[in-house]
Amino acid sequence: MFTRGTLIFIGQRVVLIAFTVLAVSSIVFLGIHRLPGDALFNEHLHGEQYALLLHHYNLDKPLLVQYRDFMIALVTRGDLGESLVNRGVKITPLVLRELGISVEVGGFALVFTIGLGLLFGVVASVRQNTWVDYVLSTTSVIGYSMPNFVIASFLILVFGKWLEGVTGGTFYYQLGAWKGDIGQLWLPAFALGFPYASIVARLTRASMLEVIRQDYIRTARAKGLRETVIVARHALRNALIPVITILGPLAIGIITGSVVIENLFGIPGLGKEFAQSILNRDYFIVIGVFTMYAAMVGLANLVVDLLYVVIDPRIRY
Amino acid sequence: MTPLSSRFLKALCVGGAASLVLGACGGSNTPGTGGLAADQTLKFPILDDYATLDPAVADAETDQEIGQNMFNGLVKFDNSLNVVPDIAASMPAVSSDGLTYTFTLRKDVTFSNGDKVTSKDVLYSWNRAASMSGAYGTSYGGNLSPIVGYSTASGNKVVGAKLETLLEAKDPTVTMSGLTAPDDYTVVAKLKSPAGWWLSAIALTDSTGMVVDQNAVKQDFDNWWSNPATAIGTGPFKMTSRIAKQSEDFAAVSNWWGSPKPTLTKVHIDVLQSAASAITAYEQGSYDLYGYGGWSQAAGVADIKRIQATANEKDQLLLQPKVRTTWVTFNMVSDASRTGGGPFTLAGGQTAHDLRMAFALAVDKKKLAEVVCGNILCSAATGGLITKGLTGYLGDGADPLAAYDPVKAKALLKSADPTGTKTANLTYAYDPETPIFKDSAVFLQDQWQTNLGVKVNLIAVSHHAFILARLAGKYSFSRDGWQADYNHPQDWFSGLYGSALGCPDSGCTSGYSTPAFDALLAKANAEPLDAALPDYKALSQMLISDVVYIPLFYSVGAFLIKPYVSGAGSNNFVDYSWANIQIHSH
Repeated sequence: MFTRGTLIFIGQRVVLIAFTVLAVSSIVFLGIHRLPGDALFNEHLHGEQYALLLHHYNLDKPLLVQYRDFMIALVTRGDLGESLVNRGVKITPLVLRELGISVEVGGFALVFTIGLGLLFGVVASVRQNTWVDYVLSTTSVIGYSMPNFVIASFLILVFGKWLEGVTGGTFYYQLGAWKGDIGQLWLPAFALGFPYASIVARLTRASMLEVIRQDYIRTARAKGLRETVIVARHALRNALIPVITILGPLAIGIITGSVVIENLFGIPGLGKEFAQSILNRDYFIVIGVFTMYAAMVGLANLVVDLLYVVIDPRIRY
Repeated sequence: MTPLSSRFLKALCVGGAASLVLGACGGSNTPGTGGLAADQTLKFPILDDYATLDPAVADAETDQEIGQNMFNGLVKFDNSLNVVPDIAASMPAVSSDGLTYTFTLRKDVTFSNGDKVTSKDVLYSWNRAASMSGAYGTSYGGNLSPIVGYSTASGNKVVGAKLETLLEAKDPTVTMSGLTAPDDYTVVAKLKSPAGWWLSAIALTDSTGMVVDQNAVKQDFDNWWSNPATAIGTGPFKMTSRIAKQSEDFAAVSNWWGSPKPTLTKVHIDVLQSAASAITAYEQGSYDLYGYGGWSQAAGVADIKRIQATANEKDQLLLQPKVRTTWVTFNMVSDASRTGGGPFTLAGGQTAHDLRMAFALAVDKKKLAEVVCGNILCSAATGGLITKGLTGYLGDGADPLAAYDPVKAKALLKSADPTGTKTANLTYAYDPETPIFKDSAVFLQDQWQTNLGVKVNLIAVSHHAFILARLAGKYSFSRDGWQADYNHPQDWFSGLYGSALGCPDSGCTSGYSTPAFDALLAKANAEPLDAALPDYKALSQMLISDVVYIPLFYSVGAFLIKPYVSGAGSNNFVDYSWANIQIHSH
């Protein structure tokens, strides 16, 4: 499957991603220092003590010197530095840990996106113009019309408050002590993935409607194949190509959407850190979070590009 | 088209539905009362991780709230905010000239690793804190500044392991010459000049007066406090695990030397971010407390009102006055360094005085507290600059600047500025990051317009730039406030006014200093508290007489405590120690 050409393609893309990540880090480094305020300043601490603190963290050096030191540490040791707010907290392991949590939530959201999207799309297409189709299509329209934070708030209201007697407020319970088990994951993942699942459902339905009218499907039926085999093995595989095409933008949407969802659900991932570090002016964490996001987006695009090869053997790199 | 088999459709639908409801089931708590619960684990959320627990550098509220359970000093504040002995066996003997403090230590005090606490540990801890104050730019190094030799130690610029080497060698550059240990259980501190406030300063929780274990510190000079293996203190609890910015666990120290002996065996803290989420989680039974760890003032008014209106929750709410006062500060001096000018300066004489008074009397402070915080998370500041509940508070309604008298205000304005030229184009500055400051600014603008007929422009300036500009005297009047560090009036007056602070041109928001104020402040700071208190109250009256500020509101904290939790609560400054808390069957 992975030909020499594919490997070269992967190598080129990895180099490109690395350059992109460095560019993002540099832009954020220079940009974040332009924001008013910093992590160290407060109402009580000013004058000489403040100057000493700036000196302790090397923040009194010229910006370009700070930038040079930062880049040397990043490129040679992968070291993003230390938090300015939480003393002694190394940023590289911190954001890697948080990245793991975000990937977990995002990955599960992608399962919802693809699973529910395909389910709704397939069922709606094979039940075209029945009440099933109308219900699923309407649900899809509602899904992609609503931002994920609205869906998340609504789900919290329903499952966290109205059904608290049944659920025991599962979604808050243990959130701080994040274990990443399915009891914690499913609701935020659903809120994150459902809008995109609706898009996949619409696309799958349209694609399936086109495919199931093809001659080869009619031939399969004439041969007496079971309907499940026809749909699952013959129709769906071809209908998936356009769906795969939009998986790249969807994956990026899920990654960036996690910022809102993690903050709403209190999930200690990269999205929550994104907001908090900017508010705290914790320079190096902000840079670390952006760097991780840049890497994630690049890698997600690469994975989607490689999926084309798997789904459609005609595509070669 | 041939329809799909119904079995296939059902399978798909059942699968989808199952994924939606998966994990939706969970337990719920049913509060009750009874004897002690078998599981003595206390769980509560904080809204941001602590910055550090190292007493030498800790300066944030959360640091100190958590750290107070791990570290002790020679003296401490009790729950009523009196300074009482802690590691010291009794209050220190103070020489008649007020320059020598002799502490006798308890002989049964140990660190959580079993090491005995001796006077050498006190010297190491205090010299370390003093020598880190310069190189690390710490906030509370100055609490040790009265000790002879502090300026030498705080002039140190060496950090990390090299500083530890100097401390181990008792190098003179990192040693306060006024601090000695005649024997293993006696510490003598010689002061440069009398400082009646000093004991209050070194009683400040998880701060420079605390005692740390050199054997633990030297293993990782900067970050020893973050590793459960080296986070050694003398307190009733020790850290057992820490996932930075996610969660922390603590366990009771067995056979702890102090009292009360902790009933809790474990404390689990989650780092959440939103007060609303934390309160919801509390209501759903995930936590036993809300508000501990320095987050009692983060709750929204709407959440608190909802809880007050909920029959089975309203009794769980504890509203506790805290230690912050917010006021409007006038620019009292205009000179080459303070270019804000304005009509309120001391140089403007009686006219400026009347203008300041007019603007003060035109504000309905009780209505302000109702509008900006529902009279829940703040209360009208009617007893002077120092917050209610702290030493130096003048008493309810004792501050004439808190009065609301729009008629008199209008008359004063008319006599002081008959043509309106002095009050034309006035601008009030504030930092909008804190919503209550923005709401207050809008309210003040409306009051001055309504009651004085003066249109005041509002300017919102981001916090950092605002503080710098206000210290530089760039605004004719602006939002101001102070959060007390320890319970002593010196903390307020020395931190805000007077030439010793640097007023009018350095480190001073109002620029206010007069020879009489400076002299009385120096006298009061040198006296023991009992003798100094009348002087501090006289200083308050000077500020009132000169109309240096317009009082707005005092802060109030909101705690939620489950009915099965006893011993939890707070005074103005800090949460009651975890050692006081018990969990009952529920």
